[in-house]
Amino acid sequence: MVMARGGGMRGRGMGRGVGRGIYKPKIFLPRHPFDLTLAEAAFPRVKPTPDETVFTQALLKRNADLSPTPAEQTAILNLVTKIQTVLDNLVVAPGNFDACQLEEVRQVGSFKKGTMVTGHNVADIVVILKTLPTKEAVEALGNKVKEDLKNLMKSEVINKGESLNHTINERGIEIANSYATVRVMVTTVHHNIRKLDPEIHLDPMIMMSHLAAIRHSRWFEENAHHSSIKVLIRLLRDLRTRFDGFEPLTPWMLDLLAHFAIMNNPSRQALPINQAFRRVFQLLAAGLFLPGSAGITDPCEGGSIRIHTAMTLEQQDVCCLTAQTLLRVLSHGGYKHILGLEGNSSIAKEMSIWDGVVVSPLDKAYEKPPEKKEGEEVEDEDMEAEPDESMETAET
Amino acid sequence: MATNNYFGFTHGGTQYRNFCFSAAAAAATGAAYQAGQAGYAVAAPASAAAAATYGTQRPTGYETAYQAATTPATYAAVGTGTTPAYEYGYGRAAAATTGYDATKSYYQQAATGQSATGYTTAYDQAAAGAKQANYATQYTQRNPAQQQTQATVSAKPAQYSGTYQANATGYQASYAQPAAAQTTIAAQPTTQAKRYDAALYSAATMYVAQQSNQQKAGGWQGYKKGGGGPKNMRAKAPPKPQQLHYCEVCKISCAGPQTYREHLEGQKHKKREAATKMTASPAVTNQNRAGNSLRCQLCDVTCTGNDAYAAHIRGSKHSKVVMLHTKLGKPIPPQEPEVIGGPRKSVSATPKINFVQSGGLGVAPGNGEIKDEEIDDTPEPDIQPVGQDYIEEIKSEDGKVISFNCKLCECRFNDPNAKEMHMKGRRHRLQYKKKVNPDLVVDLKPSLRQRKMQEEKMRRAALREEYWQRRHMAAEDEEERMYWEERRRYEEDYMEWCRRGNMGPFPRGRPPFPGNAPPPFYQGPQITRRIESNDDRHVMSHHSDIYPKEEELQNIQRIVSHTERALKIVSDQMAETVKPKEEVVSPANSSPANTTVVVPAPQATATSLQEDKVDEPIEQKEDGRDNQLFSFQREDRDVNRTLKGVMRVGHLAKGLLLQGDTNVELVVLCSDKPTLTLLRKVVEMLPAALKQVTTEHIYNVTINAAEAGFTVTEEALTVLVQLTSPVMREQEAASGGLDRDVLARGKCLQALAALRHTKWFQARALGLHSCVVIIRILRDLCQRVPTWAPLSPWAMELLVEKVISSTPGGVQLSPGDALRRVMEAVAGGLLLPGGPGLGDPCEKDSPDAAAALTSQQREDLTCSAQYALRLIAYRQIYKVLGMDQLPIQQKVFRRDSRSARKRRRSGGEQPDSESDTGKMVKTEGDSAPAPEPVVPLK
Repeated sequence: MVMARGGGMRGRGMGRGVGRGIYKPKIFLPRHPFDLTLAEAAFPRVKPTPDETVFTQALLKRNADLSPTPAEQTAILNLVTKIQTVLDNLVVAPGNFDACQLEEVRQVGSFKKGTMVTGHNVADIVVILKTLPTKEAVEALGNKVKEDLKNLMKSEVINKGESLNHTINERGIEIANSYATVRVMVTTVHHNIRKLDPEIHLDPMIMMSHLAAIRHSRWFEENAHHSSIKVLIRLLRDLRTRFDGFEPLTPWMLDLLAHFAIMNNPSRQALPINQAFRRVFQLLAAGLFLPGSAGITDPCEGGSIRIHTAMTLEQQDVCCLTAQTLLRVLSHGGYKHILGLEGNSSIAKEMSIWDGVVVSPLDKAYEKPPEKKEGEEVEDEDMEAEPDESMETAET
Repeated sequence: MATNNYFGFTHGGTQYRNFCFSAAAAAATGAAYQAGQAGYAVAAPASAAAAATYGTQRPTGYETAYQAATTPATYAAVGTGTTPAYEYGYGRAAAATTGYDATKSYYQQAATGQSATGYTTAYDQAAAGAKQANYATQYTQRNPAQQQTQATVSAKPAQYSGTYQANATGYQASYAQPAAAQTTIAAQPTTQAKRYDAALYSAATMYVAQQSNQQKAGGWQGYKKGGGGPKNMRAKAPPKPQQLHYCEVCKISCAGPQTYREHLEGQKHKKREAATKMTASPAVTNQNRAGNSLRCQLCDVTCTGNDAYAAHIRGSKHSKVVMLHTKLGKPIPPQEPEVIGGPRKSVSATPKINFVQSGGLGVAPGNGEIKDEEIDDTPEPDIQPVGQDYIEEIKSEDGKVISFNCKLCECRFNDPNAKEMHMKGRRHRLQYKKKVNPDLVVDLKPSLRQRKMQEEKMRRAALREEYWQRRHMAAEDEEERMYWEERRRYEEDYMEWCRRGNMGPFPRGRPPFPGNAPPPFYQGPQITRRIESNDDRHVMSHHSDIYPKEEELQNIQRIVSHTERALKIVSDQMAETVKPKEEVVSPANSSPANTTVVVPAPQATATSLQEDKVDEPIEQKEDGRDNQLFSFQREDRDVNRTLKGVMRVGHLAKGLLLQGDTNVELVVLCSDKPTLTLLRKVVEMLPAALKQVTTEHIYNVTINAAEAGFTVTEEALTVLVQLTSPVMREQEAASGGLDRDVLARGKCLQALAALRHTKWFQARALGLHSCVVIIRILRDLCQRVPTWAPLSPWAMELLVEKVISSTPGGVQLSPGDALRRVMEAVAGGLLLPGGPGLGDPCEKDSPDAAAALTSQQREDLTCSAQYALRLIAYRQIYKVLGMDQLPIQQKVFRRDSRSARKRRRSGGEQPDSESDTGKMVKTEGDSAPAPEPVVPLK
C-alpha cells in the first residue's frame, strides 16, 4: 500500500511531505499532548470521585436509542445478502459477463463493523476489479447486478417499498429500497491504480479510498471489536451530526479516536464508557487534533500519517474549540445537552449557565495567513495541513 | 540530597530534642518515637549510639551532609569504611526495640523483627570477638577514604566505636549529586566525625524513603551498616588462616596455606585488590555504567541486567561463595540485587518522596508514615527480546539445534540462554532498530566522553567543595557578588545557548554555589536535541524579559543577607544574655582531636538534651544565600539559643523572583513557640544589629504581629521575616489559646509550610528541565492576567512540576513544548470540577493544593488555557505571553537548521536516535564554551 500511495499521490497532499523531506530540511517531531489518563501516576486522585452512575446510564440509554431497530437490521441484512450473493456469483462464474473481471467482494463500513446508527441504513460493499474501472465497465456491472437481482427475486413477492432503485455514481452503484441502501463501491487492484486516467476511468483518489476502506474494516475487526468501542463510536457519530464543529471528523477518525480513548491507557484494559466518553473531550480539548500534536497515527497507512492532518487548519481549530467548550459543559453536569437528551446544540456556540457557573464559548485562534508571504515557510514547520483526501473514505 | 534531607526537615527542631543519652532513656525514646514515626526508627537508635560513643551527640540536620565540624575525628577512622558487601535486613519492630547499652558497649538487637532474623546482625558479630578481625577487613576493603583515615584503634575492643557506618554507596545512589559527599570525604579528613553523622543521617533518611517503598514488615535493604570490631583500617591483610583459607577480596577459599599464598600473589587477586582500592566508591564507578546495573552484594559482582544477574545467581561461582559463607558463618546478604542507579537515579528521576507534614511527633501514631507508590528498587522494566525471526537455528545432522546465528548482528552462539540475552542486548537492539524497526527504543549508553565528563564534573565538585570549606569567612561581600554575577552569567549563557538553537545539554555547569550547592540546574543524560522552535524562541525571549536585572537581584540579595547577618547577631546576643555560662564550652570539647571518646561526657549529654535537629554547617556561612537553612548554632552547641536559624523561603529561595518583585520572605526558626514578647525583643534589637552589619544602608524595622513577624524595609524593598517553630505543629499548640502571648498559629504554620515548599521545590522542580523557566513564565501570567490570579503560586508550581515530570518517556521538553504541555493539561480539564486535584506532597494526606478555587474560577482558568493552547498551536504564542511577535529569523534559522541537519546526517540516524547521541554530544561539547575551572577567588 505504501507503494501505491507514493505512486498515486505524488503532487498532491502527500507529495508535500516528500518535498519537504528534500527541500526543507526541518525536522518536526510532533508531541503527544497531555493525557490525564496516561499521567494518572502524577495526578493521584485526591478528591472523591464524583458519582457518575446517572451519567453512565444516560450514555447507555443514548446508545440504545441510536442503535438500529431489529426491523432496520433485517431489512438491510436482506438486501446485503442478496447483493453479496449476486456479486459472489460474478466472481466465481462470470459467465458471459466480460465488461470487467471481479477480483474480490468485501463488506466494509459501519454495517460490517456493527457501528451503524439508526436512521442511516446504508451498508457498503467494495468490489475489487481485476480490470481497469472504466466508466463503461461500472455501468455494465450495474446493469448486470440489476438483472441478476431481478432474477434472484423473481419468486419473491415484492411488497410496496421493496422495489429496488438502482443508481450509478462516481463511486460505483447504489441499490436502494425504501428501508435500506447498499452501496457497491468499485475499485481496482493496487497495481492498476497508477494506470488510471481520470478521463476514462473513475477517480483514482476514490479508488484509493475504497481500498483503504477494506484495510480499515480489517483493522477494526482485529483491534476494535470491544463492544465499549462500538458504543462510543455510535455516540461520537451522533455528536458529529449534531455539532457543526465535529463535522470534519471522518468515520475513520472517529473509529480510531474511540479506540484510542478506550484502549490507550496504562492498564490496557477497556475504560468504562463514562470515562472514555469524557476522555474523548479531554483529548480533543488538550489539542490531540491540533497542529503540532502527534495525534493518532493511521495504523493502516505507511509513513506514520497523523489522521487529523486530513482536516484543514481551520477545521482542526473549530473541532478543538467545540470539544473544549463541551468539556467544560460536561464537567458542570451538562451531559444531557451534549448527548442530545435535552436542549439543543447551541451550547457549543452560546453562553450557558450551569449551576451558577457561566460557561462561555471560545473564539477561533486560527487566522488566515496573510498573503502567504512570510508565513509560508514557517507555517510548514508544524502546521502542514493540506487535507489529505486519501484519508476520507466513503464508508459510513 | 535535598530530597531526602527534606524529610528530616519536616520534623524540624523537635526531632532530637528529647534524646537523653543514658542508655535506658535512649532506648525508650527510640521506642517512643517508633510509635509515631516509623521513618525515624533507625535514626533514633543510631544517633543514640553515636552520641553515647562519641560523647557529643550530633544529630544531623537537613543542612548538608558534609559540613564542617570539629568534633572528634579519630573514631571516624573506623567509621569511614563503606561496606559494599553487607546488608542487614532490619525489621521495623527490631529497630524499634533496639537499645544501646552503654555499659555493655555493644549493640543488641533486643527483639528481632520478622525480617531481621534472616541475617545475623552485625552487632552480635562485633561482640563475638572471635570474628571481629574478619569482619573488619571485610568492610574496609572498599574504603574510599582510606588514604587519609587515621589508623586509630579504639582502646576498648568491645566498644562499639564508630562502626555504625552507613553505607555511602546507597546514599550516593539516591542523590543527584553523589560526588559531593564522596569528595568531601576525600578532602576533609578533619571532618570525618561530622561526616559520620551525616552519613548516618542520610542513611536514616534513605531508610525513610525506602521504608515507604516496602511492605511494612519488609526487610530493609538499602541501609547497610558495617558492623565490626575496632580494627585498624589500614589492616588490609586478610585474616589469619583458620581452618579455611578465605580471601576476603576475591571471596574464595583456598585449600591450604600454600595455595592461599599463591593466590595472594597471583595476578587475579592483585588486580581485584587494586580495583577495590582504586575505585573511589562503588557508586562512582557504577554511575558510569548504563542505567540498570544490579549488584550481587555477596560476591560484589555487578551485572548489567536482570538476566545477567539471574545467570550469576544460578551460576557456580555464586553458589560456591554462598556455600563458603554458610560454612564460615558469615552473614549472607539477601539475594535481591542492589540496584545501582544510572540515569534513573539522576535528577530527572529524583526518588519520589512525599513531603509529609509530621504532625505532633510521637503523638498520633503512624502519622509520619509515607505512602509512596513508587518503588525505588523495582527492577528495570523487562526488555522484550526483539527480532526472534532473525535468529537462525543451526541444526546438526540429527536435527538437534546446536547453535544459533543472528542474522542482524552476524554472530553465533551455542547456548539458548546466550541467544536470549543477545536478543535483549543493546547491540542487537540497535541493529534491529537500524535494520528492521526504527521505532524501537534502545537504551542510551553513555559514551566514553560523557563518562569522562561526568568524572571531571565530580572532580571539580570535589575541588569546589574543598575550596569553599577552606576559605569560609573571608571576603564575604566580594564572594557574594561574584556568586551572583556568576550565576547570572550562567543563566544568560544558557539562554544564549538556547537561542543559538541548541536545546541539548548546556555544557557548562552552574556556577559554584558557595557552601552547599543544591543540585545543578540542568543535569542528567540529555537525549533530545532539537532545533529551537518558534515557540521556544518566544518563551525564552519573554523569560529574559521577566527575569530580574542583575542590579535588582543584588539589591535584594544585599538586604536579605544583611538581615540574616543581623539576625544572627541578635541571636548571639540573646543567647549570651540567657545562658552566659553554658556559652563557654571548653575548647577541648570542641576539638578533642585524638581522644576516642567512648563514655558519654556528662556535659555532652546535657548539651544534646535540647538539641535541635538543625545542624550547623561545616563551613560557617555568613548568610543563607545557598537557600538552605542558615543556622545560628555554633560549634559549641549552645543550648538555649532561642533563634535557631533563618531560611529563605518563597520566590527568593526558589529563584522565582521576577522583575519588579520587591517583597521577599525569610523564616526564623525558634526553639520554642514564638511569642509576641520574643518578637518585640527581636524587633528592638535588630536595628542595632543591622547597624553593626552595615552602616551604608538604612533599614527600617517594623513589627508585623499579624503576620507573626516583622518587616525590614529599605526604599522599595521589603523583607518579611516570620518567626515560627516546629513546636507549633504539636497538638497542644493547636488547642492552646491558653497563651495569648504566642503568635498566631496559622501564620506560624504557614511559615513552616513555606519552608517545606522551598525544600520540595529544590528537590523536585529545580532539576527538571524547563520547569523553572515555565514556572517563572506562569508566575508572570498569573500576575498579568486576572483570570489566572486565583491560582495560588504553590498550586501553580505543583501543577507545572507534575505536568512536566509526567511527560511520557521522561523526554525533556523544550521551553516552548513545556509551556504548551502545561496549557494542554489545564485545557484538558485538569482543574475542572471533577478533576483529580493537585495532591500536595508537603501536607499530611495530600490535600488538594488548589482546593480554594471556585467552580467559576476553574471554568475561567480552563477556558483561558484552552484558548491559549490553540493560540500556541496556531503560532500566536506571543499573544499568550503578552509580548510582541519576534521577527521570523528565516535566514539564520534555516542556515542553522541545515548545518545542524548535516551533522545529524553524518550520524546516519534520526535526530533523536539514541545511537549517535554520544557523537552529537561530542560536537556540542567541542563547540561550546569550555567549562570554566574553579579558580579560587583570592
